[in-house]
Amino acid sequence: MAKEAEASARKRKASDDVGPEGEEPAMPEPSLLEVETKSGEEASNSNPNPRDNFLFEDDYGCASLCDDNVDIMQHYSDICAVDAVKIPYVGDKEPLSSLAIEFQSGSPILQEKIKLLAEQYAALRRTRGDGNCFYRSFMYSYLEHILETQDKAEVDRILANIEQCKKTLQVLGYADFTFEDFFSIFIEQLESVLQGSQTSISHEELLRRSCDQSISDYVVMFFRFVTSGEIRRRAEFFEPFVAGLTNTSVDQFCKASVEPMGEESDHVHIIALSDALGVHIRVVYLDRSSCDPSAPTVNHHDFMPTESSTSNVCLLPRPRVTLLYRPGHYDILYPK
Amino acid sequence: MQASRARLFKEYKEVQREKAVDPDIQLVCDDSNIYKWTALIKGPSETPYEGGVFQLAFSIPEQYPLLPPQVRFLTKIFHPNVHFKTGEICLDILKNAWSPAWTLQSVCRAIIALMAHPEPDSPLNCDSGNLLRSGDVRGYRSMARMYTRLAAMPKKG
Repeated sequence: MAKEAEASARKRKASDDVGPEGEEPAMPEPSLLEVETKSGEEASNSNPNPRDNFLFEDDYGCASLCDDNVDIMQHYSDICAVDAVKIPYVGDKEPLSSLAIEFQSGSPILQEKIKLLAEQYAALRRTRGDGNCFYRSFMYSYLEHILETQDKAEVDRILANIEQCKKTLQVLGYADFTFEDFFSIFIEQLESVLQGSQTSISHEELLRRSCDQSISDYVVMFFRFVTSGEIRRRAEFFEPFVAGLTNTSVDQFCKASVEPMGEESDHVHIIALSDALGVHIRVVYLDRSSCDPSAPTVNHHDFMPTESSTSNVCLLPRPRVTLLYRPGHYDILYPK
Repeated sequence: MQASRARLFKEYKEVQREKAVDPDIQLVCDDSNIYKWTALIKGPSETPYEGGVFQLAFSIPEQYPLLPPQVRFLTKIFHPNVHFKTGEICLDILKNAWSPAWTLQSVCRAIIALMAHPEPDSPLNCDSGNLLRSGDVRGYRSMARMYTRLAAMPKKG
């Protein structure tokens, strides 16, 4: 209080009465005056409740609120709508040759690599490049795997891990209601692909759901919660990786780069999701790295879930989810 | 959207339960519309906003909680990150850093934190931002204090 009084006294040069009567607006720099004097006058106009004069509502109808913000949001959703027409959240299965066509006038190294890819992989499925492509690819690929294998044991295993993830978030202080809706949407999807060949949803239905924002985005968000929980739970392990990426704390990283929709995924995210759910993910890299032009090879990296007390892992010779990485984007890849 | 309604209802119940826990925040849902909320927050101590009570208006989109609520000050406030005319708030979690892990309650806490720690480098109120950026902390504090007294405190007899 003393400081403010001192400050306003300085502004008003001399006056030393700072009681209730001293609340006539202090005269600030001229540049500030233009805006302020009007409301200042109103306030001193013997209105018994000066607060009324300062409610924005009186002067500005609701329609004009945060116009800029609404414009930006509108603009953003317009862009999304344009994208949506071009590429759905999850696209149709395409032969690998479509990739070759895409790169036919591109780098010879990449063309060579695509030929090599074609030896091992039959098809790909594109996802929208909206920053959620890793999670979206993982979602479709994993659910499709369950749909085709009807692997009850695997579903029981992942359900147990999901239960652990829930406990992790609770221990970390997340209120249940912030994440439970996202968890139950994913569990619903799991159950609907595992109902025996008669009653399970079809591939078409799975694709439809994966493109339905109210399901697809909820599942993406589920993965984001799981990823964030795992990184925070093992903050000590992840800290050096996080520091190398963003130079922030694990906590800030999760808040800024894991939990918000549209934030892209890096190695750290993939490790965390693979570990938390105990799912082996293979990422095949289609880039120009490590290239001996005479004998190019296609690199891949296997994210093998680490055995830990909380996630029971079922190791298979083949990864359950295979993704194609091109700098900045993930799509789904189908092995032969 | 059924999902946003269900989530808001859970938040409503949580707010009722937590009322006593955070005396600095009073969140109220509109009687007839669960997508409209208002909040009264107390200005943080040791800031020019101390002793003031500030009213916030929440407008919640149907895609909540995938999209953030729109929040603005109804009570006039002199702060670098609050638009002086519209009450719009410049805060990352209300834009691109939003995630469903936030709640209406925690958004209020974040706004209180913003009041205590202005970010003069991304100002919505340039006059206020310039005072701080030019190092005139006293100037900023006295202006902010004046508006707190005029707009956010009951006038003394």
